Amino acid sequence: MLRSSLIGVAFAAAFAFSVLWSARGRRTSERHTFAWLLVAVAIAGLSLWRQGIDALATAMGIYYAPSALFFIALTCLMWLVYRLSLQVADQRQQLKRLAQEVALLTSAEAERAARAQPRPEVVSSAVAARRDSHAV
Amino acid sequence: MDTRQGLIVLLAFNEEECIGSTVAELREALPEFDVLVVDDGSRDATAQRARDCGARVLSHPFNLGVAAGEASGLLFASRNGYEHVIRMDGDGQHDPASVPALREALQSGVELVIGSRFAGVTSFRSTWLRRFGNQFLAGLLSTLSNHRITDPTSGFRGFGPQAIRFFARVHPHDYPEPESVLMAARQGFAIAEVPVRMRPRLTGTSSLTPWKSAFYMAKVSFALLMERVRPV
Repeated sequence: MLRSSLIGVAFAAAFAFSVLWSARGRRTSERHTFAWLLVAVAIAGLSLWRQGIDALATAMGIYYAPSALFFIALTCLMWLVYRLSLQVADQRQQLKRLAQEVALLTSAEAERAARAQPRPEVVSSAVAARRDSHAV
Repeated sequence: MDTRQGLIVLLAFNEEECIGSTVAELREALPEFDVLVVDDGSRDATAQRARDCGARVLSHPFNLGVAAGEASGLLFASRNGYEHVIRMDGDGQHDPASVPALREALQSGVELVIGSRFAGVTSFRSTWLRRFGNQFLAGLLSTLSNHRITDPTSGFRGFGPQAIRFFARVHPHDYPEPESVLMAARQGFAIAEVPVRMRPRLTGTSSLTPWKSAFYMAKVSFALLMERVRPV
């Protein structure tokens, strides 16, 4: 086996191990783990099948084989990042809604608790201070 | 659910120095309105000061931004059956004397009324860059919404019952002032502008710089164009 193939397979194996280790610690979800494992398998496959890159480049009409590899890798990464940005946007919305519901519930609870106590009257001094600040 | 008349929603973030006087002034000048302070994750005593002065308070557990603050106020109004909502800033820049004009428009059937700083009252002065930016956005928003809008970024505005229910459910993500005007127009809501007076802020300073203003203008323009092509 060529040295470059060995390096490629070793990198794929280390990457797959890291992904599985994270999954073991429940730090990633199963669907993400599966997707990243597929990436590791693809790296290992292209490292072992030396003519694979040339075959892909020919099929794509690209003269310089490594360019085809870069194109495929960049496309995959862009797709993954785009998917992640969609999920972040969804979760941002959910988080905002959750925070608003928490605020509404906390406010209702505070008002229920405050009903037992008389509400203070409007603070006249504060009104006077406000007027003074805008007096010419 | 009982129907209540009007709610003033004050958006506040770290405004402990002036929120008390703003709430107290509003309660004295406009006793027919309930006052709700949306405390957007303040790290100071904003919520307590507002509560002490008789406001109802909604405290976000962390800072969510102006758009979410307005949405929370409208959600509160919708859940509690308010007919009209007037949104104002907690720093006291919006003059309570202008609220009756907004309320009159709402009572005449308008669903979204914008308090305009540029529609006849000359209390508001700004730099030429901000004036240019405002005029550009006003032109774009007027064209896209088919309504003449002179102050697309005014946060001093009122919502009628349909608009409250609609915006409590669907609300712009980032730029609530101009985006909601376009959304309201596309819903077929009646929209109006009334002149309002602005006062100098009591505390703090504006964080806007020329670069930030230009970038803001570009982002808002993009958001408006996106809003225009979304399904109604």
